Amino acid sequence: MVDYDPAIINKVFENTDPVEVKAEKIARFCASLGETNPLFTDPDAAKKGPYGGIVAPPSFAVTFRNGRHFFEHIPRFGRRGFDAGKDVEFVAPIRAGDKISLHSHVKEIYEKTGRTGTMVFVVIRSTLKNQKDEVVAHIDHRFMNRP
Amino acid sequence: MKKFEELTIGDTLGPLDLIVTKEQCRTYAKVSGFGDVAGRFTDDEAAKKEGLPGIILPGNMSLGLLSKLVTDWIGVSDARLVRMGTTYRVPVQPDHKLVLNGFLTNTNPTDRTAEIDVWMENEEGERLVTGTATVEFPK
Repeated sequence: MVDYDPAIINKVFENTDPVEVKAEKIARFCASLGETNPLFTDPDAAKKGPYGGIVAPPSFAVTFRNGRHFFEHIPRFGRRGFDAGKDVEFVAPIRAGDKISLHSHVKEIYEKTGRTGTMVFVVIRSTLKNQKDEVVAHIDHRFMNRP
Repeated sequence: MKKFEELTIGDTLGPLDLIVTKEQCRTYAKVSGFGDVAGRFTDDEAAKKEGLPGIILPGNMSLGLLSKLVTDWIGVSDARLVRMGTTYRVPVQPDHKLVLNGFLTNTNPTDRTAEIDVWMENEEGERLVTGTATVEFPK
């Protein structure tokens, strides 16, 4: 079994300063993905929609960066880990003017044996909150290590 | 407007043919703050030094494109993409044909959600990125 100190699980190691979401950044994000949905791109159409104005596409949530404490707090097993994937829970829409902060902890560590051998997965959960302290998203980063 | 009652297991999203330009890739990387830290998303020479064939898409950008496949399917509606999980299998290159696909695998009438498998293939049908999405319909 993979060996680690269980005390690291659930301990928040990163709280970033809030970053204000600019309308212009949402627009550039939409342009890079070829976004055409009026809920994300057209202020007039979006006003009549379910959110009462433009919101960012859900996946905008993954553009917020963790701070300098992030990588140094990811437990490593053996060779350098790599980004194996993400699971994102979109809780509430993000709008221009929101101030978003990230709060990160180690969610779980588990071992898996596949056709290429043993892998250790480290899951870091970053929770995104807005200026009203409401959770807008949970992002689980899955890092794979080969011991 | 898409209605929960009209969904059928086996409904498909796409296939959507797509070519992401290097410029789109660079814009995405810059908006995400990757521009100055990881040349592999913005600069062919830096990418080649890492053993890659040239610029590759950030994994997050693939997640974004697959999310867009789902939000395009939802359209202008108060149904909502509430979860997206992706696995990055093979690096994704700009200026190459990509095909996005989705397949409705389950519906849950109790919480009015639909589960969708999504994936991105190259021209050879190789799955580069796979994922699952959950869409919630208004109660």
